[in-house]
Amino acid sequence: MDSRIATIARYTLLEAARTRLPALVLVTFALLLAASFFIESISITEGARFQAGFYAATVRLAAVFIAALYVIATVAREFNDKVLEVLLALDLPRSHYVLGKLAGFLAIALTIAAAAAAPLAWLAAPGAALAWAASLALELAIVAALALFCVITFSQLTPAASFVLAFYVLARSLTAIRLMSENPITGADTLSHQAARVVIEALALLLPALDSWTRTAWLVNETPYWPALAPLAWQSALYVALLAAAALFDFHRKNF
Amino acid sequence: MRFRAKREPQRAIATVPRWVLALLAGALLAQVASQALQPKPSARAEALGAPAPPQLLRAAALGEPIAAAQLLTLYLQAFDNQPGVSIPFIQLDYARVIAWLEAILALDPVGQYPLLMASQLYGQVPDAARQRAMCEFVRAEFERDPDRRWRWLAHCAIMAKHRLGDAQLALGYAEAIRRLARRAPGWARQMIVFILEDLGEIEAATVLLGGLLASGEVTDAKEIHFLTQRLEQLKAAGKSSAPPKSRRPEP
Repeated sequence: MDSRIATIARYTLLEAARTRLPALVLVTFALLLAASFFIESISITEGARFQAGFYAATVRLAAVFIAALYVIATVAREFNDKVLEVLLALDLPRSHYVLGKLAGFLAIALTIAAAAAAPLAWLAAPGAALAWAASLALELAIVAALALFCVITFSQLTPAASFVLAFYVLARSLTAIRLMSENPITGADTLSHQAARVVIEALALLLPALDSWTRTAWLVNETPYWPALAPLAWQSALYVALLAAAALFDFHRKNF
Repeated sequence: MRFRAKREPQRAIATVPRWVLALLAGALLAQVASQALQPKPSARAEALGAPAPPQLLRAAALGEPIAAAQLLTLYLQAFDNQPGVSIPFIQLDYARVIAWLEAILALDPVGQYPLLMASQLYGQVPDAARQRAMCEFVRAEFERDPDRRWRWLAHCAIMAKHRLGDAQLALGYAEAIRRLARRAPGWARQMIVFILEDLGEIEAATVLLGGLLASGEVTDAKEIHFLTQRLEQLKAAGKSSAPPKSRRPEP
């Protein structure tokens, strides 16, 4: 890796370590873990299953929320504080800045995923917890790359965060939407339905179906997980590359 | 004072390095191709799982058992319409459905919705065994709160008589309503008379109707007049030992 990319990545990590991100992550995950113990204590049967299921589902959402907002907030701050303009005045290609930031954010995503999955090593089978953690890291990598692309494109927190949220919700529900569109109960022949179906299928070509990532069933149902990981890794790598290219494209066209 | 967002004109596409354009185009093509090569999601009906025990549901409701019962009701009701696939009621596991309905009633005993679902939705499938199972569920639940649940058993009595063709079953239900549902309206409590009449049990029907009139429970003058006429018809029919023609089905 180019030393300048590595330097920016290192400082991105350093910034995360010196801000309150680690404390926020740990406190949030600890609260969710405590809540999962409460769930386990009030369940009369399948307590461990309830606990693992509750913790996995909630910590996944919390990790996505924290990672996305952190990326957006930190880059938006660099835009507003003119740090970026100082950096670009140096001998630093724009692409190196984006790639360095992306590398730093991917490392942060990996760390958050590891922290989120750590309690699952006790709450579920270790192999399943490992697969779940790997999948969460891949999911967070997509979210971090998406957040970086959005903040570079929109420059402001609110539109960028709204876009990331809408994208994530749509990507998580895309498979169900496709199924409902494919087999409607009534009105399959209407023009509006045909048009909606074409739009949905087009979206399915562009968006990753995030409902396939980080499944709680791996932890609580003994569903086979290793065969699913390789396709997820490939799709994640491809999507991160696409988002990085889109971010680079927008960043190169940006006027400061 | 006017606020206006500062417009930042973008630089020309020519300023974007070629490798970035190539990466963007390549990644986009690869993404579209990769997604296009994925098999289409197929709709798969999921089996209805067993409900959690009522005590657990009550604990999980966190002090809102009625809201929890309503949510569970909607879940069960929507179960036949999963994304992309519509499951006919007849394919559902009725033992599981009954377990769900029992759990919902345990959470919210005043609610009528599960009994409506049992008698009017799940009980309408063209399968006698399933219809009987739902009617038996309604009967069992009726005995726990007859004054509030009699109408669903009355529906089952009609269903048993006309759809299942089992007049004895209908008679049992009507008898339960007459005996237990003291607050049920007259027509529901008198149902047994007409079923007995159709069964040819004229004597029993006469005794029951006479008893009903003598008890003073019927207070509406027109209803008393109608039932008295009916009693006289029954007595006349009893003398000829045959059910009245007016209530006999056409051959």
